[in-house]
Amino acid sequence: MNMHSSGKIITFIFSLFLLLAGCTKEKNLTYGAADKVVYEDKSQKTKRKSDAEYISILYTNLHQVSISPTQLHKIQNVIYSLGDRNVANEMVLSNYFNTSTLKIPKDSEMRGDVAVFVEKCYKRFFLRYPSEGEKTFFINYINSNPNVSVEMVYTAFSVSDEYQYY
Amino acid sequence: MNRRDFFKKTGMITAGTVAAPYILPTGRMFARTNAPKAEYVVMVMFAGGVRQQESVLQRYLDDSQEVTGAAGNIMPNLLTGIAPDRKIVYGTDPGGGATRGSKPIPRILSQSMEDTGTLFKEMSAISAGHYVGLKTLITGSLGTAQGLKTRPKYPTIFEYLRKHAGFAALDTWFIANGLGNSTPLLNSSKNEDYGLQYGGNMFAAPYTFGGVGREILGNGKPYSRADLDPMYYMKNFLDQSFGLNPDQLETIKNTDEEKTKIKEFIRAVFQRQNQGLIPRPPVTDNFDAVTISYAAEVLRHFKPKFLTLNMNAVDGCHSNFTGYLRSLHRADHSVGWLWNYIQNNIPEMSGKTIMIIAPECGRNLKPNPILDENDWYAFDHSDANAMRVWSIMVGKNVPKMTVGSESNKVGKLTDIVPTIADIFGVYDEVKSSQYLDPQSKSLFLRM
Repeated sequence: MNMHSSGKIITFIFSLFLLLAGCTKEKNLTYGAADKVVYEDKSQKTKRKSDAEYISILYTNLHQVSISPTQLHKIQNVIYSLGDRNVANEMVLSNYFNTSTLKIPKDSEMRGDVAVFVEKCYKRFFLRYPSEGEKTFFINYINSNPNVSVEMVYTAFSVSDEYQYY
Repeated sequence: MNRRDFFKKTGMITAGTVAAPYILPTGRMFARTNAPKAEYVVMVMFAGGVRQQESVLQRYLDDSQEVTGAAGNIMPNLLTGIAPDRKIVYGTDPGGGATRGSKPIPRILSQSMEDTGTLFKEMSAISAGHYVGLKTLITGSLGTAQGLKTRPKYPTIFEYLRKHAGFAALDTWFIANGLGNSTPLLNSSKNEDYGLQYGGNMFAAPYTFGGVGREILGNGKPYSRADLDPMYYMKNFLDQSFGLNPDQLETIKNTDEEKTKIKEFIRAVFQRQNQGLIPRPPVTDNFDAVTISYAAEVLRHFKPKFLTLNMNAVDGCHSNFTGYLRSLHRADHSVGWLWNYIQNNIPEMSGKTIMIIAPECGRNLKPNPILDENDWYAFDHSDANAMRVWSIMVGKNVPKMTVGSESNKVGKLTDIVPTIADIFGVYDEVKSSQYLDPQSKSLFLRM
């Protein structure tokens, strides 16, 4: 073996070493996130919903389906035709409650677990949890007033100031 | 306590007890600084751009279509004068092959308003456009750089009356005849010194009470007081919790009781529609007459201290002069009917009301090239002639007189708001708000 051949072998072995040393087995990593629902904070609700947004969100909230563009346009015009938007909103809402397509809990479900119902109301309409004070107020009020219905509670939430904002 | 202290404290308590009911939200002790001239005011924003030539000057076709010998009065309820006797097209259709529109609508009032009130024959508008014109009539201010789809920059007459005269929301109404431009936003400004908390109530009558309004509002549940109380109680709790500032308001404020009354009224109107009980002028063939009908309903039901309404059918003059003449004749008919209705069907307001009528702007001297069915030219509104307007006041404490003439302008449209303030006895407060045209003054002071 001459010097030339041994140099080639050394170069080959060195290259092989570099190749083997440079390759590592790829790690198979899987990233994930723990389930966490993000709720709104009422203090950060500073943008008022447009009439169209309000009508559309309210309709979806109560019917669990989207409002048609024609119906949206009609309701928007009628609301715009009244000086007091709250009166208009309340009348539109009472119209909804006179239809059979509404998807809302039964009064018996509300009475079955008032605390859960109140929490669901806040999440459904305000996209947040109630404070302890808010929760206590509603639980006490509903429990001490047997005539209070789901319709009444939903109306109060739907026409409240907070529901006009996001 | 010695005798001196006793008298001092007793005197203060007595004075406080007497004064407290009169302290207004403004902090003022008394609302009125001068004696009111009438208990009610109805203001008519008439009627979408009216030329002097076809209205107060009674020229009919003479100053518009190069016709001679066809002058005459086509507004017999508002103005005194003989009707034209040639080329009559502004009335109703007699049928039987006769010329369309050749039957004038009979006068409703036994005497014209000119004969019983004050006519300001030649006044100045602030703008040749509709919206700024309406805004001028509502605010009395000079601002002309008003964007569309925005509320007036300066306070409206509704806010002045509610803040300074202590009127409730149900005491002040605006009956709009449509949703175009920013008309439905004229019921209140968002001015920081006044704003929506003092705004007036409003219906855009053809929408609120038309087919769509009926579909959307007419099917609502008629909640009882027992149903509404818990709803409002819970809503008010939620609102307090959210804590909206007054400057964040986007709508005028009625109390819960007032809101309930408005809802009951809307439902009652739909019922009265079914029963054919809505009062209407004998000729009701355009939106203006419909608007007037519902203004009469609001007056009959609420007896508000102040109501204003706008009409705009006359604006068809942009492309149809014949239609303009018909609309002008009908606007006169509808307003005459409303005045008659107030006097004969609303005893609480009869003899206690002042009606003020004024166009928001005039129309051009020269026509545009558009021809109508009679080959008559149409008129837009943009030149100096469109800044010429008039006004009529009629009713309690309004003298019979004519003020000004074609060569002697007296009064501006910014005078209307201080005039209304004067009628209700809050002239000084409104003038001192600093938002009115500085040169404006009550029309009573221009007589």
